[in-house]
Amino acid sequence: MQRRQVLKATAALGGGSLVAGAFAQAKEFKIGLLIALSGPAALFGPTQRACAELSAEQVNKAGGIMGRPVKLFPIDAGGAPAETAKSVVRHMLEEKVDLFIGSHDSATREAVVGTLKAKTPYIYTPVYEGGECAANTFCLGETPPQQAQPAAEFLIKERKANSFFLIGDDYVWPRKSNEQVKKFIAQYGGKIVGEEYVPFGAPNKFEEVVTRIKGVKPDGVISTLVGADNVNFNRTFAGFGLDKSIVRLALLLEENTLMGIGAENSGNLYSCMGYFANDTGASNAAFKAAYGAKFGDKAPQLSTIGVDCYAALQFAKTLFEKAGGDSKKLAASSEGLSFTTASGRATMHGRHVDKNMYLAQCEGTNFKVIKTLTNIKSGTACKVA
Amino acid sequence: MDALLIPQILNALYGISTLALVALGLAVILGLLGVLNLAYGEMVMVGAYCAYVVQAQGWPYLTAVPLAVGVCAVLGFAVERWLVRPLYARPFDTLVVTWGLSLLIRKTVEAIFGTGFKSLTEPVSGTMQVLGATYPRYRLLLIAISVAVLIALIVWYGRSRTGTRIRAMVGNPDLARALGVPVNRYAAVTFVVGTCLAGLGGVMIAPLLPVQPFMGLDYILQSFFVLVVGGLGSVAGLLAGALVVGGVNSVVSAIWDNSAGYVTVLTVAILFLWLRPRGLYARAQ
Repeated sequence: MQRRQVLKATAALGGGSLVAGAFAQAKEFKIGLLIALSGPAALFGPTQRACAELSAEQVNKAGGIMGRPVKLFPIDAGGAPAETAKSVVRHMLEEKVDLFIGSHDSATREAVVGTLKAKTPYIYTPVYEGGECAANTFCLGETPPQQAQPAAEFLIKERKANSFFLIGDDYVWPRKSNEQVKKFIAQYGGKIVGEEYVPFGAPNKFEEVVTRIKGVKPDGVISTLVGADNVNFNRTFAGFGLDKSIVRLALLLEENTLMGIGAENSGNLYSCMGYFANDTGASNAAFKAAYGAKFGDKAPQLSTIGVDCYAALQFAKTLFEKAGGDSKKLAASSEGLSFTTASGRATMHGRHVDKNMYLAQCEGTNFKVIKTLTNIKSGTACKVA
Repeated sequence: MDALLIPQILNALYGISTLALVALGLAVILGLLGVLNLAYGEMVMVGAYCAYVVQAQGWPYLTAVPLAVGVCAVLGFAVERWLVRPLYARPFDTLVVTWGLSLLIRKTVEAIFGTGFKSLTEPVSGTMQVLGATYPRYRLLLIAISVAVLIALIVWYGRSRTGTRIRAMVGNPDLARALGVPVNRYAAVTFVVGTCLAGLGGVMIAPLLPVQPFMGLDYILQSFFVLVVGGLGSVAGLLAGALVVGGVNSVVSAIWDNSAGYVTVLTVAILFLWLRPRGLYARAQ
């Protein structure tokens, strides 16, 4: 057994150095990877990084991007937007990176877009509010028309919820998403009975808000809280016993967050995402096998946030090779471009991705998909010519 | 407001008492030893992780109390002996050292448990009726425990021999030493007690919050505000500080929203630092 492992390892090393030898001539394709290495979103950092590393390895095995080996530069985007912007400038000037891939909040995205001024292409991966059309920017994440519209329809028509309370963190994503949520709710005949935002990054406690919600007696609550705030709110909400009578939808509720909310607090809680780790399709099975093989038992928990980082590198390879590396042709090349993601092929339109969406009910700390919605439009169509 | 008045008053009580409980250890260490322990929040976090370990092992929740006290006592003893004691007369250096320590503890916990959220089950779940309002049982229990711990500490500090000697040490270390009080040992005891109180606070709040490596950061800031407002070195100061900071936060959050509550707390803290830097009840110098 041991000898076989040694042989295998030697073979792998030999193979690796051959590839590296062939690559040595080509200039590296440098990618600045903007992920949360610190701050309130740091719990996503390990999976963002692991997924990107797996993707980079696969891209390099397939010949890199335009024959150039990919090199990742992980950059902390978990702090203040201005700090991240400074790191972006440094990587533009000193490393001359070819591409930035970002998985961080929208406030940071606005700072990054303002810093890049389209000089370096930028792929923004996570769930967001939609509408980002800056030149040479490509968005892979879920948008409100993909998440909130089908979920609102379900809650109003099938769960018979009519009145809603909106609670979110106070920054771009929750506020802009809720502008659209209000439209969807009105469209299906529901009404908004309360809307509140809590400071982003402050030590929030939710007893007062939950008590207020109890007083308003809505049929449903829609949360655009993020990370620890989302966990904290949902735990407090269930602690006060409101989970039995009020249905909840959270727009950023993935595996890590649900784990924090806990089994006894997740009654009547829904999420609508483009990916859940327990997806049983063949593509996801293959992806998870590769992920497990690379990172073993200590592999960070998979979620939509991580797998979008995986998709970003696959997309980058397809995109740059189609455009022949000409950054002026990237936008045109992206239209209708099909690329690999963890859960299968996806297609870009208007520099956004039309997606299959999964509406899931929480059962304990698991997501049970109750509705699969195919090919939902992002609702944003940026210029491509 | 009427029907919500009782629950909002309970919310304020809950906010004040948990804040007092969490700030207690910091108050002991800063007020009595003059050491601003920036790793204090991480010690609360360690206590919360002790509770997580206990629950993951399927042990009764109360076993988290001796575990957290044990772990924090060892931690506190080692930190006092080898990091803080050589630096008692150098407050700025202590600040830097404990800040470094906070990073070390956070990263160690990250390495052992990962960055993900841990969720604990409330040892006492469900809600009950209080004065016609429905309120979660565990939060009511926490209010009661916080009050009990505070009273116990006041009595111990005021009445016991050790308490008297600590007061002598705080009042005049040189004179105390001349009278045969083992100042070094009492400083160590004080530091360990402070650290254990942090761990205990962590155990109590763990079932209500997402337990994660960064949770300590929230507590160091809030506890510091309590001490800024209340003043150092007296239990009355601690209570006044918790009452003002926790109360203002809860009341303003209940009437307007969390943003207003947070802004008010920050404003109050700044005003105190500016106009009354020694707080409401500063120890007589």
